[in-house]
Amino acid sequence: MFEKNLQDLVKGIRAHRRDTGDFISQAIQEIKQELKSVDPFVKAEAVRKLTYLQMLGYDISWAAFSVIEVMTSPRFNHKRIGYLAANQTFTEETEVILLATNHLKKEFASSDQYDIGLAINCLANIATPDLSRDLLGDASSLLSHAKPYVRKKALLVMYKVFMKYPQGLRLCFDRIREKLDDQDNGVVSCAVNIICELADKNPRNYLSLAPRFFKLLTTTSNNWMLIKVVKLLGSLVPEEPRLARKLLEPLATIIQNTQAKSLLYECVHTVTLALPFTKKDDGTESRAVPIVVKLCTDHLKQFIMDPDQNLKYLGLVGFVNLMASHPKSVLENREIVLGCLTDNDVTIRCRALELLAGMVTKRTLEGLVSKLLWHVQTSEGSYREDLLLKIMSMCSKDKYSFLTDFQWYSSVLVELCHLDYGSKLSTASIALANQLIDVTLRVEAVRPYLTNQMRLFLVDRFN
Amino acid sequence: MIKAVMIINNHGKPRLVKFYKTVTNEDAQQSVIRKIFQQVAQRPDNFCNYLEGSITEWGEGTKLIYRHYATLYFVFAVDSQESDLGILDLIQVFVEALDKCFENVCELDLIFHSDRVHYVLDEMIMGGMVLETNIAAVLASVNDQNKLDSGSLRMQLPTHSATSHSMKSVVEGVF
Repeated sequence: MFEKNLQDLVKGIRAHRRDTGDFISQAIQEIKQELKSVDPFVKAEAVRKLTYLQMLGYDISWAAFSVIEVMTSPRFNHKRIGYLAANQTFTEETEVILLATNHLKKEFASSDQYDIGLAINCLANIATPDLSRDLLGDASSLLSHAKPYVRKKALLVMYKVFMKYPQGLRLCFDRIREKLDDQDNGVVSCAVNIICELADKNPRNYLSLAPRFFKLLTTTSNNWMLIKVVKLLGSLVPEEPRLARKLLEPLATIIQNTQAKSLLYECVHTVTLALPFTKKDDGTESRAVPIVVKLCTDHLKQFIMDPDQNLKYLGLVGFVNLMASHPKSVLENREIVLGCLTDNDVTIRCRALELLAGMVTKRTLEGLVSKLLWHVQTSEGSYREDLLLKIMSMCSKDKYSFLTDFQWYSSVLVELCHLDYGSKLSTASIALANQLIDVTLRVEAVRPYLTNQMRLFLVDRFN
Repeated sequence: MIKAVMIINNHGKPRLVKFYKTVTNEDAQQSVIRKIFQQVAQRPDNFCNYLEGSITEWGEGTKLIYRHYATLYFVFAVDSQESDLGILDLIQVFVEALDKCFENVCELDLIFHSDRVHYVLDEMIMGGMVLETNIAAVLASVNDQNKLDSGSLRMQLPTHSATSHSMKSVVEGVF
């Protein structure tokens, strides 16, 4: 019988655009027959086809045992096919997953680094609490394998294993920490990576490693690793504020010297997150701070003015963070941020809006709202919702503390009433209604005006 | 952490789907693919490559970082532990690796050899974390394994019934 291979299946699906469902059902019936075959090549190809169908949304969990069979083949080609199917489809509910345990144990002991690599990759994809507990010892001993290729994969899989079997972390962490001193830079990079993820969940437990990471900051030249080290140190800062001041200088050095925008940005970003923690106990700033703030502000400004939309976006994100500790530096660049409100890209407009709303003062409120109202006229959808809500939230913040002229605000609210809200009830229209009522109740001076306007509005609507 | 890597074409058809943060059933997976496609496809090419998307299956804090090449969107769904610009670079490395493996890769290559695309990705990202960013190292591993692959097809195995062999080895493995 002529069995279709994967290419035949794909061609067939493409040729049956009108009745794809029927064609695939037929193909699955054929596959079910093929899985009963004694020929391992037929079986492997059948599993290969099933993996493809799973991507299209078909459940293939009924074939799990066949997947295991193919996975345990001595032929590398078939093994890979089986592993891929398992990686894509096995879940904690897959009953036969336990059958993988001893197979993986055996493969971990293979003399071929790629057999080991495939097995580790499999564990990283399908790990369950049982698998993790049972394979913890074997997987962790791979951390000392002769080949860096294996050590790297072993490091990363430990994260998954710890997530599923938390007790494993305490047992194995020392071996992971040792890898920070590995001969191979790729291995050190992976060690940094896994510790970074672990520290994100539990920064306190990794504070003792801070000195080691400081050393890596100044000794490594691998940008990817540096980015992770910077992120890691950044996540430790909230737990140990004294770290914040220590970080400023090394980060500033990197900012001044690196050519890699990704690393530059990460350092600036981490500086902005660390700055709130750099205040000394007596409330003063350390001497390094103003210089570093200027350095970051200058770079972020350049990012925002760059024609590259990605840099523009990241520059705005950086400014949002900087607002928290040094609003004045950001305020000085108000015009540039205002310019971003007219950008075509909605992601950029939203960030600019968020930033501007955080910058508002009594003096600048009316001017800013006028500009935003102008934008409201030409915008639509969820961006318009954001604009309206921002306008109202800025004006009403802290019991209207930024507002000096309620007459002006009342006329703004009335103007907003006359926009087209369509037939759906939106958050903005509800907020507007509440604002109208709230202002009318609180401010006697505008009560007659607003009440009259609301009456006219209702009369107009319901006639 | 990287939550997923996807390659989706201009019409929303998935060409590669890899979930690192599990989405347990096929319907939910297809729904995530659709949501990602809808959000990404709306954006013209001169917009920035970052989308703070909201994918309910993953909760808050997922960012979609993507690149659009001809007929394909390469989308990486990540959390805040990943470097925004770094991931953009990584997508580039991934595409270059595919280009070397398939010789001027095009969508048809991905359609007919989706498993080989997975094998390349597996040398770069594992368990949601970046394993290797150097393209030469990635290609070396991929090529070594391709050799093992084709070598194994010529492999002669002891001739007894293939079914009993595989059943035997699986069952032996358990006990």
